Amino acid sequence: MIPDDAINRLHESASKVAQFCDELGVKQWEIVAEQGYGHSVELEGGKITMASGGGSGGIGVRVLDQGKYGYAHFADVKSAKFAIERALNVASKSPAIDGFELPSLVSAKSVEGLLDQRVLSLSPEDVMTQADEILSEVDNANPRAVVTGGGIGAGVHAGVLVNSNGIEESGMRSSHGFSLQVTIDENGEQTSSYEGEYSRSLIHDFEPCVSKAVHWAEVTRNPIKGQDVSDCEVLMTSEGLAPLFSMVFPSALLGERMARKESLWSEKMGSKVLDDHLSIVDDRLLTGGISSTGRDAEGVPSRSHKLVENGDLISSLWSVRDSAQMVDEGRVDHAQTTGSAVRGSYQGPPSVGCSNLILKTSNRTKSLEDLILSIDSGYVVHSVMGAHTANPTSGDFSVTSSAILKVENGTVIGALKQAGLSGNLAKAFSKNVHMSNDTRRQGSYSSGSMYLPDVLLKEGLRVNPA
Amino acid sequence: MVMAATPSKANSVDSRNLDKSKVNKALDSALEMGATYAEVRLVSLSTGTASLRDGSLHRAVPGQEIAATLRILSNGSWGVHSTTDIQSIPQQIEPTFRLANAVASRRDKSHKSITLAEVPIIEDELHWKPKKDVRDIQLETRIELMNQVHQEANDHQNIISVQCGWSDEHIHTELMTSEGMDRTWSFQRIMTNVMVTARDEKEVVSYRMRHGGEGGLDLLESVDLGEMGRTCRVSALRLLGAKRAPSGRMPLVADRDLTGVYIHEALGHPCEADLVAAGDSCLEGKLGQKIGSELITVVDDPLMRGGYGAYPIDDEGLDTKKKLLIKNGVLNEYLNHRETAGYFDLEPNAGARAQDGLHHPLVRMSNTMVLGGNHHDLDDLIADIPHGIYACGSRGGQVDTGRGSFQFAAQEAWLIENGELTSPLKDVSVSGLTLEILKNVDGLTKDAKLASPGFCGKGQTVPVGDGGPLMRIKDALVG
Repeated sequence: MIPDDAINRLHESASKVAQFCDELGVKQWEIVAEQGYGHSVELEGGKITMASGGGSGGIGVRVLDQGKYGYAHFADVKSAKFAIERALNVASKSPAIDGFELPSLVSAKSVEGLLDQRVLSLSPEDVMTQADEILSEVDNANPRAVVTGGGIGAGVHAGVLVNSNGIEESGMRSSHGFSLQVTIDENGEQTSSYEGEYSRSLIHDFEPCVSKAVHWAEVTRNPIKGQDVSDCEVLMTSEGLAPLFSMVFPSALLGERMARKESLWSEKMGSKVLDDHLSIVDDRLLTGGISSTGRDAEGVPSRSHKLVENGDLISSLWSVRDSAQMVDEGRVDHAQTTGSAVRGSYQGPPSVGCSNLILKTSNRTKSLEDLILSIDSGYVVHSVMGAHTANPTSGDFSVTSSAILKVENGTVIGALKQAGLSGNLAKAFSKNVHMSNDTRRQGSYSSGSMYLPDVLLKEGLRVNPA
Repeated sequence: MVMAATPSKANSVDSRNLDKSKVNKALDSALEMGATYAEVRLVSLSTGTASLRDGSLHRAVPGQEIAATLRILSNGSWGVHSTTDIQSIPQQIEPTFRLANAVASRRDKSHKSITLAEVPIIEDELHWKPKKDVRDIQLETRIELMNQVHQEANDHQNIISVQCGWSDEHIHTELMTSEGMDRTWSFQRIMTNVMVTARDEKEVVSYRMRHGGEGGLDLLESVDLGEMGRTCRVSALRLLGAKRAPSGRMPLVADRDLTGVYIHEALGHPCEADLVAAGDSCLEGKLGQKIGSELITVVDDPLMRGGYGAYPIDDEGLDTKKKLLIKNGVLNEYLNHRETAGYFDLEPNAGARAQDGLHHPLVRMSNTMVLGGNHHDLDDLIADIPHGIYACGSRGGQVDTGRGSFQFAAQEAWLIENGELTSPLKDVSVSGLTLEILKNVDGLTKDAKLASPGFCGKGQTVPVGDGGPLMRIKDALVG
């Protein structure tokens, strides 16, 4: 899947760019070079519709002089000088940040489980065979169910980060993932469900994910009549919660947003922000974690970071640049990097962000079934539409669900065709929160990877049946 | 060297990147192997992004990218290879041909093989040149224009943060096909945006706006950008005191932004013929049927210059054209590309768009708009509403195309009481079933226009425009 010398080639490119930086008199520089390769198969209308493969990559350069920085990206080393000059031009017009220096080399832990040779050895034909298996699993689970969308892919990403202060880091990460939208269209009624799984290692078994997709397409059929709007208990499955959780809480945990008072948890450091048995950890060293790295995007060693402990906000996340800037602007007295710089790709400079965000409880957990049993009158929500419209600065949201089950006296009595779900996520998590014993990794959002159990929110949410 | 390995200099990326004879030879080799069609589409991008935070430059990133996608159709199935290593394309003909055949070998008899609708074979160049080329914009100009927004947005003690953003891009595309198509085209887009955060002792709120479209610097220089900052400031401050919206079914009037988001999400996506073919559209089998109020006429028009979704030639090399999706409530046309036009035996209507050179074309919208109606203005629309909602500014939306359900959220709203706007509201979302809402539209103002620029995700992200008039829905599910 990837040339044996991929890392060497990236090192060579980065070295050439570094040489140009030196020739142009750049005081401090940081170069990132990336290359990705992969195969993928698309599923639509119950069949494989397309197989594709390829590779892409490029280079980004950050220059820094007396606290002023600039960045540029480009496709080929031959464009490097021109790009460096553009980055220098940007730097010359940028405000100086007192104390902003690129990090120096400090030893870092390596993270296990990020590269699986079995994924690298998958051929396009292997990936197509896996797509066949998914289609077959769906057919076995319910012959009326059709895969109307989705796909499967395997890939590898190689990256190199070097800077003028001696950091020289390289590594490869594998990825294997699939998604499927299952639809049952029968007797004039169409129901569907979307599920997916993504991993750094080879996914062996598609059946659990397929079963879940088929199950939700089945249980949402024959909807019952919705009742009146009510403030009630809502059990969000891990899958249903993740899109909302990822919109609201990760941005609240960023030090820069707190300092600028843009975070819903600004000025709450040391205060109770969640129910007092809940904790949130950002673990960049998680074995096999989707967002794990030995070093962050600026080359600073990664770590596991406790942010909320027993409901109290105890820490926030910083990168080198934003910590220096917030101190320089006088917004905080002291801040330093927590090794939390992230970068979407070589096409942009590092910013600060979460990695693997894990929600934990010190209370006794229950199975999903037992959580349902504890509901007097409420709903189970497995997916929502419009999570991206949630307001991260307030925690307010108003979304729609077509995968929502009505629960009375601990028993699911049927599905609603559609319902609105609204409230404030921060308030809903501030008391009377109960969690299942099954924490699941939920995809990879731009705000990080979410590791969440099923969560029963007893207060603060409103359901508006269609 | 088979083809140019790097983009040409920043200000001349319209020069040719693909070597005609070498690419033709590669495409011919695909046909010799047994392929029925092959194409190489190369996209070279020159981009400039920048942002201000509280009036100070936060980041600016100039960039250049080049990538190409090879598509081969063999035995009725696609094989695709995408790469930034442009030189490697000839070596990928054979493996990509094999990929297509591997897909074809899995197709059972119940599934149609792919046939492409016939299209005119054209060899030409077409460049939409703005008055002021985005590649000539100096960083100082970007900062100065963003500062016009910032200064107006920041003018109140409760405004705690103003973030201004900027993006411009020059898109240069070359397409060569085994049928002899050889087209090169280019165009530009530009946009600025602002997000204002306001805070008081009780809460923190934000409001955001965008302005931009297809074109060059002149597009932003010709408007009062300060007005965008003022509007955001006023709206954010108003949200601080706004109440939560009531929940339930009630009349709703949508502003131009929300009319656009609704028509994009709820109607535009189900009109995409690839979703129809996949059995994932509530509009399957409804061509020619009445699906909505007679007031509703909807167009999708990539030739609406200045709209953020405008483009001169689609990514399969077809001349673009206006599509009339709904005419007086009757479903008139799907958006299609060559594959779906072939599948449904329809005239191709140039709806193929790819995110960039690394992605293959999908059926996508461009500038989607509801045409105007008979009401004069907002007052006219709300005059006979005893209790309802006027919702403004989009926070985005989402659709389940198969079930025909959708959701969109407003940035702010007002309660309508006895024909007048009264209390400001926040956190308004609207959901429903596409076909139900289309039938419930009972009023449109005359002045249809495109609203704010947007982005549409469908596995790939493309810029789009959408809009229309103010639209009244007599019964909508709010909250």
